[in-house]
Amino acid sequence: MAMIKVENLHKSFKGNEVLKGINEEINKGEVVVVIGPSGSGKSTFLRCLNLLETPEEGKIFVDGEQINGPGVDVNLIRQKMGMVFQHFNLFPHLTVMDNITLAPVKLKKMTKEQAQEKAVSLLKTVGLADKADAYPAQLSGGQKQRIAIARSLAMEPEIMLFDEPTSALDPEMVGEVLDVMKDLARSGMTMVVVTHEMGFAREVGDRVLFMDGGGILEQGTPDQIFSAPREERTQQFLSKIL
Amino acid sequence: MNQIPPLWLSGLSDTFYKCFIRDNRYQLLLSGILVTIRISLLAAAIGIVLGFLIALCNLSKNKALNRIGKVYTDIIRGTPSVTQLMIIYFVIFAAVPWPKWVIASIAFGINSGAYVSEIIRAGILSVDIGQTEAGRSLGLNSRQTMMSIVVPQALTNIFPALCNEFITLVKETAIVGYVGLMDIQKAGDFIKSATYTAFMPLIGTAVIYFVIIKILTILLGRAENKMRQSAQH
Repeated sequence: MAMIKVENLHKSFKGNEVLKGINEEINKGEVVVVIGPSGSGKSTFLRCLNLLETPEEGKIFVDGEQINGPGVDVNLIRQKMGMVFQHFNLFPHLTVMDNITLAPVKLKKMTKEQAQEKAVSLLKTVGLADKADAYPAQLSGGQKQRIAIARSLAMEPEIMLFDEPTSALDPEMVGEVLDVMKDLARSGMTMVVVTHEMGFAREVGDRVLFMDGGGILEQGTPDQIFSAPREERTQQFLSKIL
Repeated sequence: MNQIPPLWLSGLSDTFYKCFIRDNRYQLLLSGILVTIRISLLAAAIGIVLGFLIALCNLSKNKALNRIGKVYTDIIRGTPSVTQLMIIYFVIFAAVPWPKWVIASIAFGINSGAYVSEIIRAGILSVDIGQTEAGRSLGLNSRQTMMSIVVPQALTNIFPALCNEFITLVKETAIVGYVGLMDIQKAGDFIKSATYTAFMPLIGTAVIYFVIIKILTILLGRAENKMRQSAQH
């Protein structure tokens, strides 16, 4: 069964239609990479999936439950979907440990001790076990993003959404973040990744969606998309970026 | 009387004695200081709570709450604080048997709340929207996100402006004489009438306010430094 199912998704900002009817299904454990030129609607599409943007039309199902219907507890849905942002958005007034444990403790998912235990093991996974007591301002961009990933994982989500997670990083820090994401992909996490990292798409993506002009223009396995794109727009885009 | 030099030039120490020592007049000022401090503190507390609530009203998506916040701020900013004080004291709380200073504090708190709400609103808006999005994406509801993520960061940003508002408030309380409370200003005024001298009691009043504000400024400055240090890791 599809983990995420999107039917006829429309979204516009001030009369400007950004998403023009998207239909898509994403299966459990699948890693879907969304690429496309800026303004194509890929970030908006991602942000609709956890309702950071409210779609005007269309339906979004997660685990078979429609999440943009009436009477749905958005907060419960979001607990199942982690999100990683381009600009990290760590909480600057809290230590790394508190950044990670805040949500699980506040939402009574874990006791403080359980959350801290979880945080320690997550910090180990992302290679930052020694940073528990640091504040975000003391970390490099790559470290911040790895903490942000750990923070999302602390809620034990079923789906992880990545919104250009490496776009704000210095080039030498991109690798460390992608490595964490690759490990996550291999562990079987369902992931939707908006990115310009074609190497990542090729290596771990199960499927690549090429978006242009508010719709999904073409999709396929990384091999298909990168080696033999069918659409002219896709070819143009890839020739510029590869 | 018209040919002799003003009294304050001929005998400063005599006047000082007459104004502040004789008949234990300094006690009037001392109790006035306590009245001023008591009213300022209670009014500040009321102002901050009220200001926070009004700020939330103004930021809310609910139209009715917006309206309440807007009308409140408009009325307070559009009328003199003396008028507000007298209306609250003689009209709204006329039949309430609470101590005078408590009612006066409520009046000043309501007044201060309007200004505090604007400070807090600006502070909340100054926190990056990404912070809210991060909180919400973790599954926190909007109140949890506001209280544990946005407000703590906003407070650091607005602390200097809040201090400023508190200092303004302390000086603003000098009008409580209008409802019959004997604060510093009223005590000075009383001495002026009782001794037929203006210079010494009024300058004395000014000096007392100045010293209180100075001490307050130093204390708040220290608190701000501490806050900055702990916010700047």
